[in-house]
Amino acid sequence: MTESNHHHEKCRELFERLSEYLDRELDEETCSEIEAHIDRCEPCKVCMKTLKRTVDVCRNLKQEQVPPDFSRHLRELIGQLAEGGKRG
Amino acid sequence: MPQNWKPEIKKDEDYELVQAINAGRADRFEELINRYEQKIYNFSLRMCNDVQDAEDMVQETFLNVFKYLGGFRYETKLKNWIYRIAASACIKRRRKSKFAPEKELSLDEFMPGEGEGAPREIPDWANVPLDRLLDEELSSIVKAGIDSLPDKYRMILMLRDIEGFSTAEAAQILDLTESNVKVRLHRARLYLRDRLKDYFDHDRIESPS
Ligand SMILES: [Zn+2]
Repeated sequence: MTESNHHHEKCRELFERLSEYLDRELDEETCSEIEAHIDRCEPCKVCMKTLKRTVDVCRNLKQEQVPPDFSRHLRELIGQLAEGGKRG
Repeated sequence: MPQNWKPEIKKDEDYELVQAINAGRADRFEELINRYEQKIYNFSLRMCNDVQDAEDMVQETFLNVFKYLGGFRYETKLKNWIYRIAASACIKRRRKSKFAPEKELSLDEFMPGEGEGAPREIPDWANVPLDRLLDEELSSIVKAGIDSLPDKYRMILMLRDIEGFSTAEAAQILDLTESNVKVRLHRARLYLRDRLKDYFDHDRIESPS
C-alpha cells in the first residue's frame, strides 16, 4: 500500500461504486472484491468510511416542525373542501 | 425502468384509510394530513429553501392528493404516490423560476487528489458514535450542504437518504432510470461528504472525540 497505488484503476473503479456498495446493491462477488481492496488500501477505506458516515448523518437528521399557523390553515382549507363535497 | 408501475394492488398501511375516504368519509382526510404533513413539509423545505414556498408546495400537494385520491388505484404505495405529486409540484415551480442552467457534478472533482489529497487515516468525525456527533450545529451544516446541491441531485438525495426510498422507488417517483438515480445519488453524497470534511477540517471549534 504505497502512496502511488491510490490512483490505480482499482481505486477509481471502487470509487465509482461506493454508494452501490453501501446500499448493498452489488452482487456478492463484487462486494468481496471491494472488501478485499479496502483492507489493503487505506485511502479507499477512508473514502468508504467518510461516505458511509455522511449517509448515516442524513438518515438521522431531525425533522423540522410544521409551522402551526400553516398547519391549521391547511386543515381548514381541506375541511371546507371535504364539507362542500367538491372532490372528483 | 421508470414506467414500471405494477398493476397489482399494494395494500399498505394507508389502505384502510384511503378506502374509507373514497367511500365518502372525506372528513377523515385530516388523518392523512397527520401522517404525511411533516414529511412533505421537510421535503418541500429542503427543495424550496424557503418557508413560504415550502408551505405553498405542501398546500398544493395536499390539494392535489385530495382532488385525485378517488382515482388512486394502489398501483404503488400511497406514500410514493404523494411524493410523486410533491415532486412534480416542485419541478413545476422550478421551471417557472429563472435560475441559471443546472450545474453538473462530475465524479472527478470528488476523487481524492494525489499525495496530500489522499487521507490515510479515518477522521474522528467518521469514527465516533453518531449520537455524539449529531448536534444542532452539524444538523444545520448538513442542511445548508443539502440546500447548496443543484436541484436534480438534491431531489434524489432527499428521496433516498432523508426519506428512505429505495433506488427503484425513487426512480419511479421521478420517472428516471435506476442507473440515473444511482449516478446522481453517488455524486450528491460525495458533494455532501466534502462539505462535512471541510467543516470538520476547518470550522468545527471543538473536536468531537
Ligand atoms: Zn484503493
